[in-house]
Amino acid sequence: MDGYDWSLRVRDLVKVFNQKVRANDGITLTVEPGEVYGLLGPNGAGKSTLVKQVIGLLAPDAGTIALGPHDLVADPDAARQLCSYLPQAQMPIASFRAREAIDITGMIRGGDSESVARRRDELIEALDIGEWHNTLGARLSGGVRRLVGFAMVTVCPGRVVVLDEPTNDVDPLRRRLLWQEVRRLGDAGVAVLLVTHNVMEAERAVDRLAVIDRGRLLAEGTPSSLKAEDRGRLRLQVMLAPRAETPELPPFVQHHTRVGHNLLTVIAEAEAAHAIGWAQELIGLGLAEEYALGATTLEDVYIRLTGDVEAGGGTVP
Amino acid sequence: MTALAPPAALRSGLGYWWHSYRMMLRWEITSLRLVLPVTVMVQVLTGAGFVLALGLFFGRVPPRAALFVSTGVVVLTLTTIGLVLGPQLIAQQKAEQTYDFLWSLPVPRTTAAFAWLTTNLVLGLPGMLVALGVAQLRYDLDLHVSPAIVPAVLLTLLTGTMIGYALAHALGNPMLIAAITQLFIFVILGFSPINFPADQLPDWLAALHRWLPLAPMADTVRAGLTVGVVEDVTRSYLVLGAWAAASVGATAAILRRRG
Repeated sequence: MDGYDWSLRVRDLVKVFNQKVRANDGITLTVEPGEVYGLLGPNGAGKSTLVKQVIGLLAPDAGTIALGPHDLVADPDAARQLCSYLPQAQMPIASFRAREAIDITGMIRGGDSESVARRRDELIEALDIGEWHNTLGARLSGGVRRLVGFAMVTVCPGRVVVLDEPTNDVDPLRRRLLWQEVRRLGDAGVAVLLVTHNVMEAERAVDRLAVIDRGRLLAEGTPSSLKAEDRGRLRLQVMLAPRAETPELPPFVQHHTRVGHNLLTVIAEAEAAHAIGWAQELIGLGLAEEYALGATTLEDVYIRLTGDVEAGGGTVP
Repeated sequence: MTALAPPAALRSGLGYWWHSYRMMLRWEITSLRLVLPVTVMVQVLTGAGFVLALGLFFGRVPPRAALFVSTGVVVLTLTTIGLVLGPQLIAQQKAEQTYDFLWSLPVPRTTAAFAWLTTNLVLGLPGMLVALGVAQLRYDLDLHVSPAIVPAVLLTLLTGTMIGYALAHALGNPMLIAAITQLFIFVILGFSPINFPADQLPDWLAALHRWLPLAPMADTVRAGLTVGVVEDVTRSYLVLGAWAAASVGATAAILRRRG
């Protein structure tokens, strides 16, 4: 050990665009080495702005970002060397063979060709993309291209690895493989900053997470600590009939939100029997088609905090 | 399993720069792999085509006109890559949102600029050489190639490439970049004393071109290929040198910029 504190330390970060939009409004957080830290929030919450300051693409208006002995705001070159970044957009590798793209980025990141080749083979196997290792990027499906991008970014990882929606387009089986690799990064002492709005996935993958909205950090903690406030509550999910209006809500519904035909409600455990009765009544009236009652999830916390319904792919229990 | 060792110390120094330059050059060439042969072919065909079209258009071409156009085509092939193709590629990166990834790579940013300059040389030289060869065969030109052609070509390529590079990085809107490159093509082909003497332009435009880089590019390159055609090449070198320094300075400033 070199005696430095290799946690990523963001303090009071402020970024203002066009002198009025406060994209980051005093954000403070710490990501420890070995930790997978989720950054959750709706579109426009300020997640990407935060991340781009960490990796040295944007300069904050106020606040500090430190990693080890380095001030990443003053030294964006250090930020680029110490942080690896998988953007949300696809990688520009149309004319690269998958293997080649991983190798070149590994060597750009300072790896020697031998260890890059070894680690590349391991990643290709671990992510189960071997059959495409010699395929041009232009001919890869979106999901495989995404996995190649992940391998490019992590073949020689920095102290911090920033992953912006890493599982987009990736099939369910390979998603699990990818999360295993994220875990391995953590085990190797890398601080992983995971940007997502897929709450269900984040709940399983992260050690801690922060919910961000309108440039502010609304809550931070482990998934269970964030759900603690919802202890004693249940979620009742009602699938409304096509074109049905949102029905009048009984007084025991504490929060609700509607995503398409999905009506998500949070109720007290003691009201479970009433809630089931209400849902069956809706079905009887032809206003709903089915319902599910279950434990509250991180998604309910997220909706309560942000008032936002955009929880991509995470609405089905 | 390979040990995943996060970087212990920051890299720096000449070795780091050279390694990064080689890797970025490899990145650039590989990125263009699918279009590289076509791009070089287009450069070759437009250069040679421009030279041959002159003969088709006029039938008998006066030797001096043939010499002017043939040496001017060299400048056309060298400048269109840097001023048009380069900015268009950067505009594409911005439109496809891959720009941030490339910009986040842990290399000294100057290596990316130098790699792009080298790529321009690779793309531009074949077109330039073929155009001159075709012109020589078709018009039996009175060419006198001197060593001065080397600094003239390099300075022309450097200035064109860096102006396009700095501009494309500075502008946020890919559509705007595309529009400006269209304007460049229009001005370079139609209204610059590259393929014809400046005195054929209206006085005000000729006066303006004394201070813009295109005419000095044509003068310095022409002076490296002919004898007795260009009068005051020293002034052209000074103006072009100033533009080269300014465009390199602008690029250096843009490379350090953060939003």
